Amino acid sequence: MKQLITNYYIEAKTTEEKPICWITSGGPVEFLIAMGVIPVYPENHGAMCGASKIAVGLAEVAEGMGFSQDLCSYARLDIGGATTGGGAIPGGLPKPDFLLCCNNICGTVVKWYEELSRIWDVPMFLFDTPFIHASKPEHATEYVKQQCLELIGFLEQQTGKKWSDDRFAEVAMLSVEGVDLWKEVLKTAENRPSPFTCFDAFIHMAPIVTLRGTQEVVDYYKLLRDEMQDRVAKGIGAVPNEKYRLIWDNIPIWFEMRNLGNLFASNNACLVADTYTTAWAVDIRIEDPLTSMADAYTKVYLNISIDLMLEQLTALMRRYQADGLVMHSNRSCKPYSLGQYDLARAITERTGKPALIIEADMTDSRAFSEAQTRERVEAFIESLD
Amino acid sequence: MAGKALEKIMELRADPYAWARSWKEKTGGKVIGFFCCYAPEEMIHAAGALPVRIIGENRDISKSAAHLQSYCCSLARTGLDMALDGTLSFLDGTVFVHTCDTMQRLSDIWRLNTGFVFHADLILPVRFETAPAWDYMVSELAAFKSKAEEFLGPIDDAALAGSIKLYNRNRELLSELYALRRANPAVLPYDQALWLAASSSFMDKSEHNELLEEVIADLKGVDVPPDTRVGLFGIGSVMDQWDFLRMVEESGATFVDDDFCDGHRYFEEMVPEDVPPIEGIARRLWDRPSCPCKHQPGKSRASCIVEKATASGAKGAIFFQFKFCEPHAFDYPHVKKALEEAGIPSLNLEIEQGAVSIEQLRTRVGALVETIKA
Repeated sequence: MKQLITNYYIEAKTTEEKPICWITSGGPVEFLIAMGVIPVYPENHGAMCGASKIAVGLAEVAEGMGFSQDLCSYARLDIGGATTGGGAIPGGLPKPDFLLCCNNICGTVVKWYEELSRIWDVPMFLFDTPFIHASKPEHATEYVKQQCLELIGFLEQQTGKKWSDDRFAEVAMLSVEGVDLWKEVLKTAENRPSPFTCFDAFIHMAPIVTLRGTQEVVDYYKLLRDEMQDRVAKGIGAVPNEKYRLIWDNIPIWFEMRNLGNLFASNNACLVADTYTTAWAVDIRIEDPLTSMADAYTKVYLNISIDLMLEQLTALMRRYQADGLVMHSNRSCKPYSLGQYDLARAITERTGKPALIIEADMTDSRAFSEAQTRERVEAFIESLD
Repeated sequence: MAGKALEKIMELRADPYAWARSWKEKTGGKVIGFFCCYAPEEMIHAAGALPVRIIGENRDISKSAAHLQSYCCSLARTGLDMALDGTLSFLDGTVFVHTCDTMQRLSDIWRLNTGFVFHADLILPVRFETAPAWDYMVSELAAFKSKAEEFLGPIDDAALAGSIKLYNRNRELLSELYALRRANPAVLPYDQALWLAASSSFMDKSEHNELLEEVIADLKGVDVPPDTRVGLFGIGSVMDQWDFLRMVEESGATFVDDDFCDGHRYFEEMVPEDVPPIEGIARRLWDRPSCPCKHQPGKSRASCIVEKATASGAKGAIFFQFKFCEPHAFDYPHVKKALEEAGIPSLNLEIEQGAVSIEQLRTRVGALVETIKA
């Protein structure tokens, strides 16, 4: 997979003809792939910066420019990186020709991308997916559908290429195939013992997030699925003595993955599933890809009410036979974190299983206490007996 | 200088919900709370109900800590606290307009925990550009009207037109007040001027209009020498730190205008009365200078602020940044830069309701004033 992602970034950095578009993690990338545009994900880059522990330095540059330290750390480190050319990719991310921002994950991306639009002096397309508290009204469906058509017009204008429904159908088919394979991968963790932990999933999710709609992604997940199914057949578990099965909620604590992985494993706990990787396991109907995608992109996990999240989270806990829930209260992500306190109580009420809340940040290590986290995780696992 | 009308309005500031509670007791009418000035108050009013604003308050957080992490703004945390401890028990319901991520989640948390009978979400578009966004906005406003009718009773076009007229009159009067004060800020302390605008959301508009007319008449009769203090422009969301505003006036400066959403932004632009009411309401929301929660490429917020600040004669600006308020915090660097380029230096003050240190802020305000005078 390292090869897949490396090749992707190399192409993005060296291409002379293909336009580059920076896109949000919940954005409708299939439109870009269909138009031969290379998508670049500042959030994915943010995760890489967090994992390689260079996020704080980049964020400080943005803070020096006047951006509050309380703002989303992905945005801070990206604005810092755009200004200095720093980051996990040598020379920084490739300059965008235009931006595609979808607010199905949060409203912060709108402000972040507006700033990027100013920094790079490039146009920004906002794909506005109205939030769903109870149900999606017809006029919201129509609004998002119209924006799909607008997006096509925008891409034609930016690339000078003509849109092809056939090519889009091809990409949509590959996207569905890729997502179905990803779902099969995730499903293998329903087994006891689970062949992988969510820490593995957080690494292996990169292709489905960034290159959905390509053949490479389909090929990659076929291999991964076969490997996982093989492990299941042989009874190979990721955690040697899997005693406790847990669900993870929220974006990973990117700079602490190895330590957390070890911490849970050494306490015989396996994080078998999570709400983050499952967010890209969407349902798209191939007969009407445009309408279906407009629908799928509006209904992502972060664009629905706490009640609707609760339904999904409960189902996840039951499907994976979870003994408990670990929630990362992520300072940088309000849509994912506000409501966790109520969700934790509701899950325990419904399933009888306890929930642990860890206060941290996805890339800003200044908001994390290793000692405290260790203590709380160990106490939590002990309480599961 | 304070006439009876001004006195009456100022009394309310110590207990902003006193008017609403008394109205409810006298009339048995319904009171609907709202956080954001994009809420279509005219619709609520046309149904015979009283819309009142929730702007949080200076208090220590207690009950809401079990529902909201500390890393969201004091408006949300104190607002929820007030709902959970019975301070807002006179409310019959709330309307949450989609603004930012915190409000989006607060709506669910509020609905699940506060027990108010009526709860409505109004998801306006974030894009204030393009025909589909406009169509969506009008449809969403119509849908809200239907939902409000289910609980409040019918809202016919004539009633709605009447409410719009009343609200427009309120906007007209507040514009006149602000203009009067800009001509010579010495006629009225700024904290009182701002409360005159903000108080509009805590009482019925008819009575507020009457009181405003009296206040304006009184102020026109005030004879004071022209103000020589340094003129400042205030930028932020909700401003309710009255002590702070008075402190500024003790520091050789005074606010001459603002972009607060409970101040000038609240009454900016009229609802056109020559189009169907829902369309008119939509038109005003669409055309008025936007807040940081909206994406309006055709009308940059930075240029709107620079224009307003320059027109007001302000020589400096102060940003009141609610800690954890993301939309405003993201706008700060480029708006500050735009102001600087227009020759207006500024100061950024981070505040949380219930944790404002006047003395610390006095030093910083003093420094800004000295810079400007130099």
